[in-house]
Amino acid sequence: MDTLKTIINEHIEWKNQIIKLAKADIIKTYSGAALGWVWALVRPTILIFVFWFAFTYGIRSGGGVEGYPFALWMIPGFMAWFFMNDMLTQGASAMRKYRYLITKMKFPVSTIPTFVGLSKLFVHLCLMVIVALIFIVTRHFPDVYWIQLLFYILIMFLFFTAWALFASLLGAMSNDFINLVKSITTAIFWLSGIMWDVNTIEIPWLQKVLYFNPVTYIATGYRNCFIYKVWFWEEPLQLFIFIGLLIVMFLLALWSYKKLIKEIPDVL
Amino acid sequence: MNSETVIRFENVTKEYKLYKNNKKRFLAIFSKKVKYKKKLAVNDVSFTIKRGEAVALFGKNGAGKSTILKMITGVTYPTSGEIEVSGRVSALLELTAGFDPELTGRENIYLKGQLYGLKDSEIAELEDEIVAFAEIDEYIDQPVRSYSSGMKARLGFAVSVNIRPEILIVDEALSVGDKNFRKKCLKKINGIIENDNVTLLFVTHSIGTAREFCNRGMVMVKGKKVFDGDIDEAIEIYNK
Repeated sequence: MDTLKTIINEHIEWKNQIIKLAKADIIKTYSGAALGWVWALVRPTILIFVFWFAFTYGIRSGGGVEGYPFALWMIPGFMAWFFMNDMLTQGASAMRKYRYLITKMKFPVSTIPTFVGLSKLFVHLCLMVIVALIFIVTRHFPDVYWIQLLFYILIMFLFFTAWALFASLLGAMSNDFINLVKSITTAIFWLSGIMWDVNTIEIPWLQKVLYFNPVTYIATGYRNCFIYKVWFWEEPLQLFIFIGLLIVMFLLALWSYKKLIKEIPDVL
Repeated sequence: MNSETVIRFENVTKEYKLYKNNKKRFLAIFSKKVKYKKKLAVNDVSFTIKRGEAVALFGKNGAGKSTILKMITGVTYPTSGEIEVSGRVSALLELTAGFDPELTGRENIYLKGQLYGLKDSEIAELEDEIVAFAEIDEYIDQPVRSYSSGMKARLGFAVSVNIRPEILIVDEALSVGDKNFRKKCLKKINGIIENDNVTLLFVTHSIGTAREFCNRGMVMVKGKKVFDGDIDEAIEIYNK
């Protein structure tokens, strides 16, 4: 409990600096390139195009879902994955990347994953504007379901910021952990129904197992807004499982913080 | 705590845990059975430093000086004992002084200032002075990773002394740079000690500079404080 208080206090006291550092993180990622932050949008766009091409013409599974062409179905979940992917891998190495804040000055270490997350969130919001434009251009106009996107963005941000705190502490202790995360990220991508429709699984228990996958929950949530037109409270079981996982993630983050915070400066 | 006391150490001990390898250290997070060697870096050290004092810290490599400075800065935590520090600490630990290598010198000045709690307008006022003091001219808008070690140290020093610290910690940073720059630094330190009542903690192997500023000296041997008092006596003991 005290740990939670400490972390919250650090965030309140340093809120201005957190915003500044998030800005600096964005500038930093794309400085030194002539096109700058445009690259943040170019990479996802190319990938979406490649996957759409492969699945529509290559593998030929692209029959469309719920009357939407496969590419349109894929995009919202895929964009959510881009954020999750960044948070999984870069979140885990956040403290290593910002070790100068830890070892060279007094800095509230718990805020490092937060400003890294905010920086990724900003890029994500830009991408979501593009997604909205794609839907509008293809004559799928905004409706009331789009509003709940805010809910999914919020819970995704919370979940993965907690993850980043947990993972970056472990990642600071050992590079092996970062490598482990990097190598299972691709597996998570293919297992979580980013590229295929989870609802097409015909084995009931396997579908149930996927309820426990937060990545699936969020990707499906994004599609609930754009494609399926389902409110988040209409699937209470999945919602409760996700909230449970969110609490577990927070507890893990608190545990690792309490356990490792005093050791981190000596290790880095 | 006495209002004039700015730094107080009471029976402070710092122990580093040394594991055989990375794997062992990682396993130790989950299990208490993993074995490690203990290395005592600072062993039961107590002292108080009052506002405006200038203290030199002597000791051979590995005597625990840097660990003490890190604990004052708040970067690292003591294993046992109590530490109280009041006032804005500006520390020059090692040469890079905590710059982000990907950001430019100017961006780093702002970032650093913000992290020390200054407003942007306050930093803008100090900016020219810092740039002029660091003597890096047009390099100020280049990323810090392209700087030479001398440039980094100069910029680090310029930022640290110009953000109006209340406690200034200087760790060997003056050993780089040419004679002229060193002189300039010493003059600047002298200035802020006299005018702003800044507390100075100074780690150096150069006895001459220490004698110039400090009237008090502490000598560390293998993590223990063996002497604390007059600077001349401290130098004598350190030289033995």
